[in-house]
Amino acid sequence: MKFYYFHLMPYVMEHDEPSSWVTLSNRSYDPKAGQRLYHQYLDQLEYAESLGWDGLCVNEHHQNCYGTMPSPNVMAAMLVRRTTRAKIAILGNGLPLRENPLRLAEEIAMLDVVSGGRVISGFVRGISAEYFSTGVNPTHSRDRFYEAAELILRAWTEPGPFPFDGTFYRYQYVNPWPRPLQQPHPPVWCPSQGSSETVEWAAKRRFPYLMVFTPVKRIAQIYGEYREACERSGYAASPYQLTVNVPIVVAENDAKARAIAEKHVMWVFNTGLRMHPPFWRPPGYMTEASLRRFLENPPPLPSDLTFEQADAQGYIVYGSPATVRDKLRVFSDELRAGIVCSGMNGGSHEATLEMMQLFAEEVMPFFREDAAVDETAGVGR
Amino acid sequence: MPVRRADAPEPERRDLDVRGTSVRMLSGGAGPDLVFLHGAGGAGRWLEFQARLAERFHVRCPSHPGHGGSPAAEWIEHISDLAFHYLDLLDTLRLERVHLVGASFGGWIAAEVAVMASHRLASLTLIDPVGIKVDGWIYPFLFGMDIPEIVQTVFHNPMAALALAPPDQSVDTLAFQYRQGAAIARVSWNPYLYDPLLRRRLARITTPTLLCWGAHDRLAPVEPCAQAWVKEVPGARLRVFADSGHVPHVEEPAAVAAAIAEFCGGIR
Repeated sequence: MKFYYFHLMPYVMEHDEPSSWVTLSNRSYDPKAGQRLYHQYLDQLEYAESLGWDGLCVNEHHQNCYGTMPSPNVMAAMLVRRTTRAKIAILGNGLPLRENPLRLAEEIAMLDVVSGGRVISGFVRGISAEYFSTGVNPTHSRDRFYEAAELILRAWTEPGPFPFDGTFYRYQYVNPWPRPLQQPHPPVWCPSQGSSETVEWAAKRRFPYLMVFTPVKRIAQIYGEYREACERSGYAASPYQLTVNVPIVVAENDAKARAIAEKHVMWVFNTGLRMHPPFWRPPGYMTEASLRRFLENPPPLPSDLTFEQADAQGYIVYGSPATVRDKLRVFSDELRAGIVCSGMNGGSHEATLEMMQLFAEEVMPFFREDAAVDETAGVGR
Repeated sequence: MPVRRADAPEPERRDLDVRGTSVRMLSGGAGPDLVFLHGAGGAGRWLEFQARLAERFHVRCPSHPGHGGSPAAEWIEHISDLAFHYLDLLDTLRLERVHLVGASFGGWIAAEVAVMASHRLASLTLIDPVGIKVDGWIYPFLFGMDIPEIVQTVFHNPMAALALAPPDQSVDTLAFQYRQGAAIARVSWNPYLYDPLLRRRLARITTPTLLCWGAHDRLAPVEPCAQAWVKEVPGARLRVFADSGHVPHVEEPAAVAAAIAEFCGGIR
């Protein structure tokens, strides 16, 4: 199994506002504290590479304390020059949120060239709240996503210049310099929440599918749908097309790990993902079929999730090294996921570094049968 | 509390095909032809306002595509698409000239129709319309509000909101509401609730125009919104309803219906 270190770069704070997104005033953001946090977070990502993690993940979210990376490409740019081996996975760029997605084709190609072909390019729609922060019409989200993806893929693979005449994006000259180093283009991943339309779209193109903060049962269901969709497209999914993103807490014993998880991981759900209800469901963001599927079996709101629920449903992996190894076997053996993305938070920068080291020494080596495999070979393009 | 009058006859329900787009319509009454374009949440309602109008007019209340459980029309991408759709509806019903009444979002559509084809209108009544950019005013963003906040913004008397409340919380009802929200968002998310081109075009309206406005409208307040419409629509008359917010036809249905009847009577 491959291990990717995933960072949200949260601005951890407590507050009584109804929403940590969109309306939480940025007066609460202290830039001096932010400077310290950014450096600690980047140090953690760089440290992950030195400890043996295979990939380093950044991502895009806007106007919240949950994750302070409105531009993941800026963070990726900082990492490519400070690392030499690890993949740099941008999970992902919110394609529909851009007015000029050709700029994304250019930025990713720049990163790919500078990094020597280490970039993984996640394509996402952006979560619901993003449509309140950017002003983009959520009823256009899906169509803009598909159109921007097509534009970017063509910009990377077809010799320019050529014209592109879409519904949302139009260019007389598509001819980006530089071209990406990886051929035919950097691997594309689809982090998603399991809508059947996206599963089908990703499977058809061999784009790895990533489930973020999802109960294990639901991951199993969506993975099943993805594998079936791959078969309909005439091939069997590689394990490296199935990625799971789960927070991991490892400590010297189960009780210590549980205490850390209850405090620091639950902050992500209960506070970081606290959202004014309308921000969860902008009109037209979901298809009506997806909405009905959601309403027939609604999961608890993250802000209402209790630790016991999160634990029982497999939202979190925590424990001693031995316990964490056992729990990860569920992902490697039962779900047959090839890649685990996880962030860690020990409660302080130093405690986080120690936790990372413990994981790298006591957990990771037990899952290294595939150490010689390049997980990006033949997938994502 | 607006209720349908006990002695009022039931409206007739019809499904129409308007150039390939299916439309649900309620109609009733006798007299000059009047078409009412509803606002958000007003589809398929035949309340006291409609019943009162039906005493004087042949009233037709079509639901906008995607509203009130009717199928969405994917071709509708812009507010002017809805205006053309209603010109098509007039043609389908063979109505040469009608009294056109629109409330809120429906008022916006009615104004778009009027700048295109005033000659098809015997009169135009706009009830707290949105649709133009008003200097010094930004419409509160209803899409970002929960139900209590919406009620607070739209109604002067919150009890009046019960008339527009959904029948239940079933998956079907919630899915219909979602479809309705999407149909509105498609044409009004950004720019929010206005067409940047409309304001300058209002001078083209040659139809006698009545503006009905709730004195306590918090979505589009009399000052500055109603005043902007008075300034732009040639000869428009303004009637303000003292006990209403954004939906005076729901909050003071008898008074608004009477004002419309009186205005239209004065024209003939």
